[in-house]
Amino acid sequence: MGFIRCSPLDHPEPEWQSEETAISVHNLTKKFKIPKQRSLTAFDRLSAYVRRHPSLYEEFFALRDINFRVEHGEALGIIGPNGSGKSTLLKLIAGVLSPNLGCVSVQGKVAPFLELGVGFEPELSSRENIYLYGAIIGIPRREIDRRYWDILDFSELRRFEYLKLRNFSSGMYARLAFSIAIQADSDILLLDEVLAVGDEPFQRKCMEKIEELRRAGRTTLYVSHNLESVKAMCNRCILLQEGQIVSIGSPDDVIDRYHKGMELPPESGEQKPEQSDSFEKIINF
Amino acid sequence: MWFFEYYDLIRILTISDLRVKYQSSVLGFLWSLLNPFLMLLVLYVVFSGLYNQSSTDFILYLFVGITSYRFFSNGTSASVQSIVSKANLVTKIYIPRKILVFSIMLSGLISAMLEFLILFALLIIFMAPITFNYLLFPVITLVYFGIVYGIALALGALYVFYRDLNQIWEVVISIGFFLSPIIYPVTVIPEHLLKYYMLNPITIIMQMYRDILLYGISPSLLTFGYAVCAAIIILAIGATIFSRLEWRFAEEI
Repeated sequence: MGFIRCSPLDHPEPEWQSEETAISVHNLTKKFKIPKQRSLTAFDRLSAYVRRHPSLYEEFFALRDINFRVEHGEALGIIGPNGSGKSTLLKLIAGVLSPNLGCVSVQGKVAPFLELGVGFEPELSSRENIYLYGAIIGIPRREIDRRYWDILDFSELRRFEYLKLRNFSSGMYARLAFSIAIQADSDILLLDEVLAVGDEPFQRKCMEKIEELRRAGRTTLYVSHNLESVKAMCNRCILLQEGQIVSIGSPDDVIDRYHKGMELPPESGEQKPEQSDSFEKIINF
Repeated sequence: MWFFEYYDLIRILTISDLRVKYQSSVLGFLWSLLNPFLMLLVLYVVFSGLYNQSSTDFILYLFVGITSYRFFSNGTSASVQSIVSKANLVTKIYIPRKILVFSIMLSGLISAMLEFLILFALLIIFMAPITFNYLLFPVITLVYFGIVYGIALALGALYVFYRDLNQIWEVVISIGFFLSPIIYPVTVIPEHLLKYYMLNPITIIMQMYRDILLYGISPSLLTFGYAVCAAIIILAIGATIFSRLEWRFAEEI
């Protein structure tokens, strides 16, 4: 199981893949073309072509030449300011985006979710949504049948089995989503700020669950702005800034570096504000 | 294979699309049949006078044409937005994206088969010759599904990049209605244009449906072979366009 995804220009090199490595990222570059207009029609493209006005796009490098490896069973934290490329990196590893340069190689099954609750249908009940979300993240129907009560019990939403999701609070929504997601039998978990909602006891419960999965040999990639939780959960950490790895190592060192960086912005830290603005729009959309 | 691996998801997406279409009710389904019936009625009143056809033959001729064309027109126009309307499932999670097009097509196929059930009822009422040729119905439908699915893949992928494609496609569907033998017999086409006219694979499919359902004859091997080749070519082109564009879906939506 697993996959290798390369840009059209690159070919996978066998020497940097090995069975022990869960994830290898090699010379990875991701470039976004940001349209100057909201959406483009055939008419726009045709008229731009006729008027010889080719720049319908601005280019923006979300990630530049990223290299790292993650061994099986590791928990890697990814931190950095907004727009530094954290989510883009996870999306590339999940296979949602494809690289412009370089390769991503993954050994094992990736849980295909970044945000929790993608595809939840507000007009359906919790029960129906458990089956729907299970199908989306690839849990076989039999397995959901078997673990149905585990899911509801973990989320502590047993009373609301037949309630429509549109009546849920955002915390209940997140609880249900997390409880289903951890049932996916994946080797690699990609978690992008998933614990931001939910009350403290539930957050603690989730952390314990993730820790338990990690000890069982699952590999975890954890993106968060909550640096304390990164320290608590991860054995290694990456600091991203403007699409480049600034620092990689033990969470304490990297977080120190991040704090220093915030006090004294690096020389190269001048970025064009309008570019990062439009980048944020893309991500948030 | 993706179909078996994602069977549950395909089933759920197909059912939810059908639910939306029929508003979760039997009455919703009946309402959706009203549209082809009204169309049939109008076309029958207008054209039966024009051609002086004997009435039952013409009404069945029309009905086969309308029902089979509706699978093409409804299926392809629903598929145009199949990727964009499920933006969440493209940008926030990884699933093979052709599932989104495929489940819309399955729901279109089920709707079309329900309409064909009405046709079968009419065939029995009007005592059309029921022969072993009826066994070819699923085979022809499978070939037709291939053609429509190939077009749907291309449309769904291209719409991500060209957001006025739905308008353009509506025009194509209206033109196609008059370029296919729905309201007129093939015999009205001038001799020297006929060979170009018969290149349209939808025309071929429609004629094969009529052969087996109305006239009780089996289509010639050449005709059938042409339809199969057309389906394979269209499917290959559609799948190629889709896979070439798929890697940029998540950034463009």
